Amino acid sequence: MMDSLSDSLKDALKKLAGKAVVDRAAVDELVKNLQRALLSADVNVKLVMELSKAVRTRSLDEELPKNTNVREHVLRIVYQELVRLVYATADLKLEPQVILMAGLQGSGKTTTTAKIARFFQKKGMKVGVICADTFRPGAYGQLSTLCEKINIPCFGDPKATDARKITQEGLVALKDLEVLIVDTQGRHALEPDLIQEIIDLNKITKATHRWLVIDAALGQQASEQAKRFHEAIGIDGVIITKMDGTAKGGGAISAVAETKSGIVFIGAGETIENLERFDANGFISRLLGMGDLQALMEKARESQMGEELDMEAMMKGRSTLRDMYKQLEALNKMGPLKQIMNMLPMGNMNLPEGVYDVTSTKMVRYRIIMDSMTPKELDDPSIINSSRMQRIARGAGGAPEEVRELLKYYKMMHKTLKGLKGMGSGGKFNMQRLMKRFSGMQ
Amino acid sequence: MFSGLKDRLQAARNRLGGSIGAAATAQAPAGQPDGAATPAPAGPSLTDKVKFLIIDRELVVSEKDVADALGELEMTLLESDVALPVTDAIIADVRKSLVGKHRKIGESVDALVVGALKSALLNVLGKGFDLPAYIRARERPVKILFTGVNGTGKTTTVAKIGAYLKKEGFSVVIGAGDTFRAGAIEQIGVHAERLGIKVIEHQTGADPSAVLFDTVQYALAHKTDVVLADTAGRFHTKANLMSQLDKIRRVMKPDLIVYVDEAVAGNDAVVRAAEFDKTVGADAIVLTKADMDSRGGAAISIAHTIGKPLLFLGTGQAYEDIVPFDPDAVVEELLGSGSL
Repeated sequence: MMDSLSDSLKDALKKLAGKAVVDRAAVDELVKNLQRALLSADVNVKLVMELSKAVRTRSLDEELPKNTNVREHVLRIVYQELVRLVYATADLKLEPQVILMAGLQGSGKTTTTAKIARFFQKKGMKVGVICADTFRPGAYGQLSTLCEKINIPCFGDPKATDARKITQEGLVALKDLEVLIVDTQGRHALEPDLIQEIIDLNKITKATHRWLVIDAALGQQASEQAKRFHEAIGIDGVIITKMDGTAKGGGAISAVAETKSGIVFIGAGETIENLERFDANGFISRLLGMGDLQALMEKARESQMGEELDMEAMMKGRSTLRDMYKQLEALNKMGPLKQIMNMLPMGNMNLPEGVYDVTSTKMVRYRIIMDSMTPKELDDPSIINSSRMQRIARGAGGAPEEVRELLKYYKMMHKTLKGLKGMGSGGKFNMQRLMKRFSGMQ
Repeated sequence: MFSGLKDRLQAARNRLGGSIGAAATAQAPAGQPDGAATPAPAGPSLTDKVKFLIIDRELVVSEKDVADALGELEMTLLESDVALPVTDAIIADVRKSLVGKHRKIGESVDALVVGALKSALLNVLGKGFDLPAYIRARERPVKILFTGVNGTGKTTTVAKIGAYLKKEGFSVVIGAGDTFRAGAIEQIGVHAERLGIKVIEHQTGADPSAVLFDTVQYALAHKTDVVLADTAGRFHTKANLMSQLDKIRRVMKPDLIVYVDEAVAGNDAVVRAAEFDKTVGADAIVLTKADMDSRGGAAISIAHTIGKPLLFLGTGQAYEDIVPFDPDAVVEELLGSGSL
């Protein structure tokens, strides 16, 4: 389902590629597909409408930056608008603090409480937790079992019935610790008694942070619930849980927008270590079901700054294996080759599907082979004779043929680059030529 | 319950009715002189023709007439957490039954619109499921297995259904099949103790299949009517946990597999319901946390995706907060029967 969505989003982007001017119809189609992708990721309907409106106006109104094609231009706007929604970083300091956990029933507060305790413990802080869930049977048992595993004191009483009282006692009992995390009972906005309870708990604990735990699968309810929680206790951070399923976590965006806070952590797994700091890029990529948008952005920025810099140096004639290594490394950082090819300002150049895969696995192999070369060999590949070749192959765990192939590739690249030297046209053309040679080699 | 969805649907209904009505009045005066000017050719007599034009004159609803209103209905459904593909299906359904439809002048626009919406929703929600009647008709013990992802409220639902069945006069035993989550056995144990229901439990970390097998053996030996088997929450993406569930199914041979999800879930509800249905099957659905949600879209999404009946709605934290689901009543309530 999601794949077909991201495919249609990609198709819409493809239509924009290679166009010199922004095409209104194509932008409209892109915006429509973007809306669908976001809606099926559970982002709030109103937010989606606002965002798509902004993308549309900016795409059509803003002047196309130099050296950028329409597709990159529009994509950058999409990305910027999305980042604007999620990027308010929730601050997290390693200092004494009290954290109050809030959220709906079954969103994963207790598990997350233990995970956060573990997070601070690993940072060298003295941590304690208080179980203020006096309603759900087994809540204290669950939290204390989890805390026992990581040697963190857990204050609570399975027989307690008054959350306020147990919290007060806990604050006294654990006053020597630096970070106190208060786990609370699940509640929702339509339960006035429980909302009052959490307001009281917030007063009693004088909490430094009030974090709202949101299930990644939460739908359009997220906005409303977050709003009510925010009104009650002033949420200053959101935690998304259960990101190990297939849910996209769009509800959390609604919650962030509603509370004007940021996403602190992401929970993705059932063990105590499965907690990650929030990474906007990964999150947005998942939301849209597309590859790494960050790399794409960098790529776009680069082409804005001018022609590819290393290319320039290499075209001066002197290129060594080292340069090639750097190049491969850079390519590797940006993700699968196919993705980069989609990003590169080459418009609608089509390569057979298979080429990408073979090529990217091959690139990894090439890097490994180069890793087992000596600096001297890297600087001057011509010294590589058959005994050196044997050694390199053994070091890289491969056959000498592979080394030979690499050298052949190097020579070809060298030649291609030299051939480009005189042409002086933009990066668009030489990359295209390069790829042609490249694919010819497979 | 579902009052949010109800309000929105009523508004959409008005909109749809409005645009068809407007189209009708625009067409009607134009049609009249046109018809009168046509001479009667051979075939139907003039009187027939006049009768047709004046009394039985039909209006054809065009795609254009309803486009705006359907767009609005689409937003309504999306805002109510009906998943995107399901929304598409419902809209297509309503469009198909409205567009090209011949409406007699005498027939009210409202009836037409309500009829289309009603049948689309009923199509999706299917028929209800009468659990007590099902149990009475089966050989005892009737074994019910509960499945679902983490935190949807399986354990609480097991307790609530236990209480409900006990009130209906059945004897019940619960199998504490969640041997993974810390505190889970304690949780179901406390519930059962409060309700006076027997629980079969092993230690944390034990094989859930063994626990549930023992529960079935207990039920056979004690001639208990119903076995309620709780399980640990698991994500459909975890192959090993799903095959564990499959093993549980093979070992305890449940009569009924109940898939539990929450009413507040968004688009993912569709994905995971389909996955669970595919790997271990699902015969009925329980939707929890319906009290948090005045929208109810997940009910529509899940029911549409796996085409299985909704058994109960969980509507609160107390044992009696569980409501058997009656699709006719819900649709009736959502759309109302009053006139515009």
